[in-house]
Amino acid sequence: MLPLAKLKRAVQEAVAYLRTVPDVIEAEVFVSSNANLLTRLSYTSNIPSNGVEEPKSLESDGIGLRVVFKGGSPLLVGFGSESGDVSLTAVREALDKARKGAVRDPEFVSLPRLGDRPRKSISNYHDRKLMHLTDRQLVELGWAVVDGTLDAFQSSEELLEWAKSPDAIPDLGLILTGDVIVLQERIALGGTHHDHVLTDESALITSMSTSMVEQQFTKGTGWQVGARLDEFQGTSGAEAARNAIRAAGGSRVPDGEYRVVLGPQPVTDLINNLLLPSVQLGTFQAWASPFEGKLGKRIASPLLSVYDHGALRGHAASKGITDEGLPTGRTDLIRNGRLVGLLSNWYETQRILKDPDAKEKLGVDPAKRRKAIAPQNGFRTGLGGGRHFDRDPGVTPTNVIIDGSETVPSEELLRRVGNGLYIGRIWYTYPINGITQADFTCTVIGDSYIIRDGRIAEPLRPNTVRINDNLRRVLNGILGIGDTRKPTIVWSADEMVHAPEIAVEALHINEIGEFLETGS
Amino acid sequence: MADRVSIDVIDRIRPTVAQVAQGYAKRLAGMQHCDIRVEASEGVGAYAENGTPKGSGEERGFSFGVRVLAEQGGAVAPGYYGKSLGAADVDNIGKTLREGVRHAYDRARASAAHKATSRGRFGRLGESLYDSALASVDVHVDTINAVYEQDPRQLSLEKIMGQLIDVSKAVGGTSSKVRYNGTGATSLLIRDLFCSSNGSNIDHTYAQTEAIVFVMVNGDTGPLELYDFNGHHRGWEIMERGYDHQYVVAPDLMSFATDLAQQAVATANAPPLPTSDGDVTVVTDPHYNTLLVHEIVGHPSELDRAMKMEAGYAGRSWLLNSINDTQIGKQIASPLVNAVSDATIEGYGNFPYDHEGTPARRVWHIRGGIFEEFLNSRQTAEILGVAPNGGYRANDAAMVPLVRMTNTFFLPGESAPEDLVKDVEHGYYVKGHRIPSIAESRENFRISANQVYEINHGELGQLYRDGAIQADSKDYFTHVDGVGTDFKMYPIPNCGKGQPMQAKRMGNGGPTMRSMAKVVGP
Repeated sequence: MLPLAKLKRAVQEAVAYLRTVPDVIEAEVFVSSNANLLTRLSYTSNIPSNGVEEPKSLESDGIGLRVVFKGGSPLLVGFGSESGDVSLTAVREALDKARKGAVRDPEFVSLPRLGDRPRKSISNYHDRKLMHLTDRQLVELGWAVVDGTLDAFQSSEELLEWAKSPDAIPDLGLILTGDVIVLQERIALGGTHHDHVLTDESALITSMSTSMVEQQFTKGTGWQVGARLDEFQGTSGAEAARNAIRAAGGSRVPDGEYRVVLGPQPVTDLINNLLLPSVQLGTFQAWASPFEGKLGKRIASPLLSVYDHGALRGHAASKGITDEGLPTGRTDLIRNGRLVGLLSNWYETQRILKDPDAKEKLGVDPAKRRKAIAPQNGFRTGLGGGRHFDRDPGVTPTNVIIDGSETVPSEELLRRVGNGLYIGRIWYTYPINGITQADFTCTVIGDSYIIRDGRIAEPLRPNTVRINDNLRRVLNGILGIGDTRKPTIVWSADEMVHAPEIAVEALHINEIGEFLETGS
Repeated sequence: MADRVSIDVIDRIRPTVAQVAQGYAKRLAGMQHCDIRVEASEGVGAYAENGTPKGSGEERGFSFGVRVLAEQGGAVAPGYYGKSLGAADVDNIGKTLREGVRHAYDRARASAAHKATSRGRFGRLGESLYDSALASVDVHVDTINAVYEQDPRQLSLEKIMGQLIDVSKAVGGTSSKVRYNGTGATSLLIRDLFCSSNGSNIDHTYAQTEAIVFVMVNGDTGPLELYDFNGHHRGWEIMERGYDHQYVVAPDLMSFATDLAQQAVATANAPPLPTSDGDVTVVTDPHYNTLLVHEIVGHPSELDRAMKMEAGYAGRSWLLNSINDTQIGKQIASPLVNAVSDATIEGYGNFPYDHEGTPARRVWHIRGGIFEEFLNSRQTAEILGVAPNGGYRANDAAMVPLVRMTNTFFLPGESAPEDLVKDVEHGYYVKGHRIPSIAESRENFRISANQVYEINHGELGQLYRDGAIQADSKDYFTHVDGVGTDFKMYPIPNCGKGQPMQAKRMGNGGPTMRSMAKVVGP
């Protein structure tokens, strides 16, 4: 990775040069250097496998410019970037690309205004050890998870009982897949309309594991999210293995409506695939949110509050500034069941303020709710994370915190459900009829149980039910919110959701996949 | 230093890449295999929204990726490295590639050493930690050129931006019910170079032109969003006048976009589909079967997934329990069902070699209802003891390839498509694919459709919105009782798999087909 000092110097030189270019009214310079270090894990006891399957990395650095050119109204604005170089040569190339591609976007207002005294929400928050990971350390992080899983398998009395002899344990079809990911991000940002060069360094480590005992039709999940290398324990695989073993021997349930407790992963999956896309300002702009016209109005149970907070020290998805140079911070999305805020970047916030249909789209005049649409989430994510120079800022959530006006222990959630299901992991959760309708479907693939008389009874057999329901119904049917939150990630998501268990009045369930057991 | 990266950079660096793979890498102690992929691309892209321009620009890419298999401590393991490059890297490409090889090699050796230790430590459980190996393929030295009329490098940004604005305006003008629309397009030339330590040296250039159209409509029965993709391995000419080649469907962009808008307006005025009590007769059109074959035949036929390597991400496959317990040779569908992956024919999944130098060929997944063959890579083929069949592909040279579909489709049958509807006393005609949700081993699916029509006495009747088919995969295939002659193939540009997720392009398709399934509404 390029050192931060080099990125900062590159921005200074670029800004100085751009101020001399006659047709440039205004320009923003974004320089970044990213590395995504990743070990994919794959172990199968009865199929040859590598354990650590892919120790790999993806690195990139370069410069990106957003430029407003002279040329009348609407303003002529363009974006250009250059990879692998942050010198003045790269600046000239990027500027040329921005000039060639510039368009007159009637909804463009200005580049971000950082104010007289731009500030970072947090500083020096990243872990230097994560920033200097060696190839050997990367490999060993992966093997720590694999070895931990094999330890859990080897010491399991249940596996021995099922297999009858130690030599036959591999025949049970033991599986571990998952990863350890380290993201290393450095950025520097400046502009011709101010004299500041803002810099930021961020790093995080995550591990996600799935384990199975195939002959027992059982699957378990484990994960860990952190901001510091020293806190990484490599235990996600062992946790997944123990959860898989614990959930063996499950039962099927018939079609019907069930009261449920949703665990942290299903809560996160619903948040990631349905709620967060629905509470982005751009979605309202396109008339595509299921909550059109509902800003300030009730959309969920009064028990529920949700906020995004990009400036929580020690939280994995925190950043000092956005990729537009603006301070990160807290955006309340749902407070006691009311929709009170939307995720946004500078462009979206500025254009909704000019939009003649804004009041119909939002339900309120955005000029009177500026705090609700503050541009605190303008990031340039992609390729599994990172802060990339080669794209315009989009809108990305950070740390998403699920809160409750009244939170209760897990035992109380089970008591409120009485008879129903504990859903611990769902799969392929998609808005099956589009975001606007909020209908969703998914299957239940593990970590799940039948609840009887307010207690966990036997496991629910994985891959035997499909959920068909609607996000609005789930949000309004909340029976209780747990008092313990777990930082949770789902595949290909950028945000970290700090998710509690949530009890819900009803989910519609269909039984599936019987032919795999009956053979016909 | 080069001012700007172009695809011509491959000509300049090809000897150096080959030298690093076949010289430098082979001299490293314990090196078993090394391959280097380099990709350069150039072209243009633009996006319009509600008839106004939103952005345009030149698109350029330059990157490389390395795979190494190396021995240490008595075990063999893989290591990888990937990096985005720029013009400034061209003069130092040899050094940059050697550094990449060195990182991959160090990772492979460190992993191999630990693998050897874990084998000893975990007894029987450690025995499956094998010495990584690749099934052999012949050495190929080849150069393949792209086919196009309008060179993506010569395209004017003003021209495509103007056309996109016209299309977006036309979509908006379809009906007052259209509240929002967006149209984006890119046209690129992409050049892949593959050099391996065993001497393969393959230079493949292809054109890729595609568009996405998104329409948001407020109908009588509520808001409805539809989107779809158009594209082919040709130049911008396909967006201006379409491409009509037998089964390949690539209309001109204006027709494509306005047809989608009209479909959205009609559907947004329709009532929601009532959910059926049980299975009913369903006739599915070629566009719907494009996603069906993708999700329910293509994905479970990927051997890395079947070998559990994707269990934590994209899932497993019900077609393989273990190496000795598979569905190969077993009847999994009606004898009328035939499905293949074939990268050798025209389509969005066409290529001459995959990303490890294996020549493309037709892979029969289902023949006469019997499952025959998985798509594989050299690594997974070696484990299963079969020949590599050319399915190992990545989104970008810096990314690690995965087993991917090519042109994966249902083969046509012998029924006239209209007869498949005429014979139905009561059922549903399911038109156009929308959004899928698939069970973990692809054993069950719910896939929504753009439109669902009720069939009464062999005639199409009431149109419904927000409808889907839900079924167990084997049940659905077993009940297929009619396959049409009207085979079509469409582009799928966004198939997610891997970690980090790679959204891959491929061709999928099929004819009209008839089976039994539950239809599901909101």
